[in-house]
Amino acid sequence: MSRGTLVYAAQRLVLITVTAVVVSSIVFIGIHQLPGNALASERRNNPATEAALLHHYNLDLPWPQQYVLWVQGLAHGDMGESLVNMGVQITPLLLREARVSVTLGLAAVLITIGVGLTLGTIAAIRQNTWVDYVASTSAVVGYSVPSFVWAFLLILLTVSGFYAWTGGLVYENIGWGKIEQIPVPALALGLPYAAIVARLTRASMLEVIRQDYVRTAWAKGLKARVVILRHSLRNALIPVISILGPLVTGIITGSVVIEYIFGIPGLGQEFVSSILSRDYNIVIGVFTFYAVLIGLANLAVDLIYPVLDPRIRY
Amino acid sequence: MTRSALFRSLAGALGAVSLVAACGGGGGTTSETLAADQTLRFAIIDYPTSLDPAHVDSAVDITFLSEVFTGLYKFDNNLKIISDGTTGMPDISADGKTWTFKLRKDMQFSNGDKITAKDWIWSWTRTLRLNDAYASNLYAITGAQDVSDGKTKTISGLSAPDDYTLVAKLDAPAGYWLTQLAMPTASEVLDQKVIEAAGDEHWTEKAETYIGSGPFKVSAYSAKESIDFEAVKNWWGGDTGKITKVHTDFHVDAATQVKKFESGGYDLQGMANSPAGPDDVLRYKNDPTKSKLLTIYPGARSTAVGFNFVTGPFAAKPGAKPGDPTNSGSSTSDPGLDGRRAFSMAIDRNQLADIACAHAITCQPAFGGPIVKGFKGYLGDNGDPYAKFDAKAAKDLYKKWDPDGSKVKNLEYRYNTSPSNDKRAQNLQAQWKENLGIDVKLVPSDFPTLQRDRKKKIVILGRESWGIDYDHPQDWFDNLFNCAQAPIGRGNDEAYCNPDQDAITNAANAKPVEQAVPDYVKAQKMLVNNVVWMTIDYGTQPYLVQPYVRGAGYNGLYDYGWQGIKLLQH
Repeated sequence: MSRGTLVYAAQRLVLITVTAVVVSSIVFIGIHQLPGNALASERRNNPATEAALLHHYNLDLPWPQQYVLWVQGLAHGDMGESLVNMGVQITPLLLREARVSVTLGLAAVLITIGVGLTLGTIAAIRQNTWVDYVASTSAVVGYSVPSFVWAFLLILLTVSGFYAWTGGLVYENIGWGKIEQIPVPALALGLPYAAIVARLTRASMLEVIRQDYVRTAWAKGLKARVVILRHSLRNALIPVISILGPLVTGIITGSVVIEYIFGIPGLGQEFVSSILSRDYNIVIGVFTFYAVLIGLANLAVDLIYPVLDPRIRY
Repeated sequence: MTRSALFRSLAGALGAVSLVAACGGGGGTTSETLAADQTLRFAIIDYPTSLDPAHVDSAVDITFLSEVFTGLYKFDNNLKIISDGTTGMPDISADGKTWTFKLRKDMQFSNGDKITAKDWIWSWTRTLRLNDAYASNLYAITGAQDVSDGKTKTISGLSAPDDYTLVAKLDAPAGYWLTQLAMPTASEVLDQKVIEAAGDEHWTEKAETYIGSGPFKVSAYSAKESIDFEAVKNWWGGDTGKITKVHTDFHVDAATQVKKFESGGYDLQGMANSPAGPDDVLRYKNDPTKSKLLTIYPGARSTAVGFNFVTGPFAAKPGAKPGDPTNSGSSTSDPGLDGRRAFSMAIDRNQLADIACAHAITCQPAFGGPIVKGFKGYLGDNGDPYAKFDAKAAKDLYKKWDPDGSKVKNLEYRYNTSPSNDKRAQNLQAQWKENLGIDVKLVPSDFPTLQRDRKKKIVILGRESWGIDYDHPQDWFDNLFNCAQAPIGRGNDEAYCNPDQDAITNAANAKPVEQAVPDYVKAQKMLVNNVVWMTIDYGTQPYLVQPYVRGAGYNGLYDYGWQGIKLLQH
């Protein structure tokens, strides 16, 4: 990695940090304007109880003061304690959930790129044949169906369907914690994006395989694998990589629904439940984590550019 | 690319969909032979808000705490109160104010620490000091509220003459207290040594420090993800049953739970107040084979519409301060009474339950007042005269009460949004429009927003709901319908305050429950005649149980204990 790239990466890291602070501040201020609080319960009928709990969490202080305390805690890596799940420390909780979401997201990205590139490449090199039509139609279907619909379809197929057809020998074991539980939710998350990648790859490949240098490669008698993978696909990848940034962002935010449907204990599920329950501290933490994750994902994509295209330098 | 390369690529892409091979679960035949693996597996929709008995706040929490901790008494599967940490029922003095408990001498925590009367005193004092939702279960003891208020650090009315005797002096006779003590919440015994070493707020975070004295202990806990239990070896209470391990996944969508149940991934579905959705319940009910796995138990929750008694058109005493007496019981002195009655009679509860509750499966229409059918104090079928649908009478009464429609102009119905609450609200709106000819605007919000406004006593017409804590009418009146709860910030959202009714329930509170029930029924008749709540439905609890599971179920309040469950070979 060149010095310029390192400097660029360092600048982006600083920017990500600033973004995270700004995001957390906006969320902090915004959420404190919402009516009601996390301690609302039909059982807590004693105002003294609620007052004591509000005091315990510093929620009885003016919000600027609460913010200062929160920032001080953050500086020490302490995002506080959940208001809804008493005793649960937020920093280790979100770190664990971020690991889950990142694992799911990476698997989805792999599926997106793997399926997308494969279908797009096959469609391009078999242009106007039934293979192209099948691949292109699949891409349109994949793109048109939202990930939550894919999720339900895949659950129906791989859980109930496979279980019934195989008499309980083979089926998807929904949940999290085992490696075999990753692919199906990752597929649900990645399929719509894989369709986008497939369409883009096909278009890009069609342009590249008509270039003179590719014709020369064929004329030299190179093997099809070498011509397609080394000479054509690598150059066709540049426009594909350019959409990876927003695509990764989409996958990260899309995990909110997929995690809920598959019961995956990641940031996405936390995102929904913490907002609904007004767990202020966790909401701020989740938003901050998302800001950092999206920033890092985009940075990673930017750092791939010079690897694929040496003309790009930072 | 060659055709074989193409297929290799496709195979590679499809290979991402890996599927597990697993031993079968669900269907199939069963025998009475026990399965080798007695691990009970289920999921819940939510997650425990706290695993600390002093901070319990929901049915989810109770499901787990009741297996890990011990109280003086507990409920059996039929809601009968039985001894738990005591050798028998309490010895109650003639004036009803001194309760003596004889404690079991063989009790110990799962870490081997012995349990004596001092542990109970420390635990109850801590509960009162933390003063959360169910600390009020101990308020009957003299000096208990002083601890909650921070005025003192010891409960003056609680003492231990010896290691295995606990004596509680009460401010007044409390016939309901035994029931409160049996509720697996505030009165459980805790290990002082462990909690003080781990920290008052952190002892529940790790299995090593989460110590109780019940038949099960936590073996692994990952907040908001899952929890694992194992039976306590050489448990002081004797046999822990057949189940050796329990695994629970948190925060799993009900539809996903059902799918996993169907593929044998879960042994039960519906535990800890996590029922299957209406569509799945209907699917099971209508399938001759699947219906054998479904049991729909009566639930312990009433849903109602509440009327504001101090503000707005339904007020019994407009302009009164919340907490002031509001009700005189007649339409001449209560300007809102006819309006409340008309609104209640205008609702066909059968239609509402049919539409909002999957053809009256996930709830049942309510015709017997707030206290749920099957529990002490229930008024009986048709016990609520204004729950009977009568569109003509309702319209006539409404016209008499509000001839020009000015009273209900811009009237709003407030509720916390959820799929079933949305359906209820839409049906109420439609029926009020059809039967009374009035437009009620629906104002959905999240629960915290609604709860804030309920406690401010500014909700004029709004959704109300209560899940029974324990089978005693005192739970209803002292939390929802007495004058003490009417001021701002307290639980009587309607600010209804009827001193005559309070006199009846206060007297009933002092009596043993069998003698007290007629008084509570009398008080509840006052409630329904005044239409404080127009109760619309009673909840149900659908349960899915695999054919190889025995002993699982629900008693209306709690899931059956794990000690009675066993898994047959399948």
